[in-house]
Amino acid sequence: MSHQVSISVSGLSIRFPVYGVDAKSLKKSLARVTVGGTLGSSMTGATEVTALSGLNLELRAGDRLGLIGHNGSGKTTLLRALSGAYEPDEGMIDVHGRIAALLDLGLGIDPSATGYDNIRLRGRIAGLSAKEIEARMDEIAEFTGLGPFLAMPVKTYSAGMQARLAFAAATAVEADVLLMDEWIAVGDSDFQKLAHKRLLNLVERAGILVLASHDTDLLRLYCNKVMRLEGGIASPVTDIRKLEELLAA
Amino acid sequence: MDTATHMLRTGRRGALFEVNMALRDFRTSITRLGLAWSLASHDVVSRYRGSILGPFWITLSMGLMVAGMGFLYARLFAISLHDFIPFVATGIVFFGVITGIINEGCDTFVHAAGMLSQTSLPMFTFLWRTVLRNLINLAHNFVIIVGVLIYFGYWRTMDLPVAGLGLLLLVVNAAWISMLVAIASARFRDVPQIVISVMQFVFFMTPVFWQPTRLGRAHAILVYNPFYHMLEAVRAPLLGVQPDAHTYSLLALMAIVGWALTFFVFTRTRRRIVHYL
Repeated sequence: MSHQVSISVSGLSIRFPVYGVDAKSLKKSLARVTVGGTLGSSMTGATEVTALSGLNLELRAGDRLGLIGHNGSGKTTLLRALSGAYEPDEGMIDVHGRIAALLDLGLGIDPSATGYDNIRLRGRIAGLSAKEIEARMDEIAEFTGLGPFLAMPVKTYSAGMQARLAFAAATAVEADVLLMDEWIAVGDSDFQKLAHKRLLNLVERAGILVLASHDTDLLRLYCNKVMRLEGGIASPVTDIRKLEELLAA
Repeated sequence: MDTATHMLRTGRRGALFEVNMALRDFRTSITRLGLAWSLASHDVVSRYRGSILGPFWITLSMGLMVAGMGFLYARLFAISLHDFIPFVATGIVFFGVITGIINEGCDTFVHAAGMLSQTSLPMFTFLWRTVLRNLINLAHNFVIIVGVLIYFGYWRTMDLPVAGLGLLLLVVNAAWISMLVAIASARFRDVPQIVISVMQFVFFMTPVFWQPTRLGRAHAILVYNPFYHMLEAVRAPLLGVQPDAHTYSLLALMAIVGWALTFFVFTRTRRRIVHYL
């Protein structure tokens, strides 16, 4: 790899229109056009929400950042922006390294397909060739600990089993930057231990972890830095030991 | 997730920048066509998982449709089976590709919401997924076409390279319509209903199962119906007839104007599509 793994975000603002049921209706949109604009600031009929504003963030290899904040404070939006799914309205996101986002258990998971097929599908999305996936299949299968269940459709799995599958498949790709939302708390204690080992392994490989969670114990376990989001505005990145102060602030 | 080791995302930097980003999305999707192929073949396989015939249900149901319409309408229109069955078989199969690509365009982004909201995969990948899925379906229907063309002796007069060119023109044009429909359907929930109704109407207005000669050679329904020309570009050479020059010029013009329009719309909406979902 020519570049060191890093995340650099400057002046990031993301606004997005929230399309309510009304805004999704073509009739209402057409009516709005013919009437020639009605109340409301936006001609598109959507309310604009500022999810993040003026966010700056610098992370380098070995950083494990915890994101805290109330519901709707912008944690997930930031993770989605870092994954490349959301485009900034202002500012810049520059990520060096391969990104793996575990934001939604459902990514690439087809409930009627088997566990094996889902691992293949997810691997393909992550950019592996069919050959590379087959080469890693045994290792991934072992890590999931699902054994014979892997040959069964995913819809027969429990939530914890799905989490195991998704986590195993997503982290099987050698990612440098791992973005995770909350759900890592799913799964039994055995799996938690395995996941913990794998996450630490990732960070040892000079990766970056960004984890959003409300669980302070979880954050203390995985992170060495923490940032608090409040209504889309970020606090400075501080050491995890100052988590209490940050929460109190 | 992405194999790229460097990702740069920035705010708006003028129209030219936006056009470049749209083109880059397109280029990336082409270099990762293998992914679109995997998704498409997964779609087909998983749809027929657990059924006895598997994807050959596509062939069977199409075969039934062709046989039913072929025999019935040959009788109704009093045309010989030799003339009519190959006409209907090629008509229904290739018109099925057009409607398939366009109708399924409605779900292109809606079904990909999960992936679009946490990866930097190119948007066009999902268009290719829809297109390739329909081409896989078409491949299953080739059995019928080949059988009919051999049985009725058309293999002696057909012109495969010209038919291949026609199929290319058909797909290129159906693809841009599909992309526009995909963007519009993500934004407005009424669009899928409109598209399905329109395509149904088009099916009856286009000489899929009735012969264009019955309408007179240059009726407006034929001359100005782009779907007729898309179909004719593939069907005519298979039945041993050269398509009109008018057909080619119209399809070429349509492809250029259509793709330009599609790129314009995509450039304007690219940032927003993920929020529509």
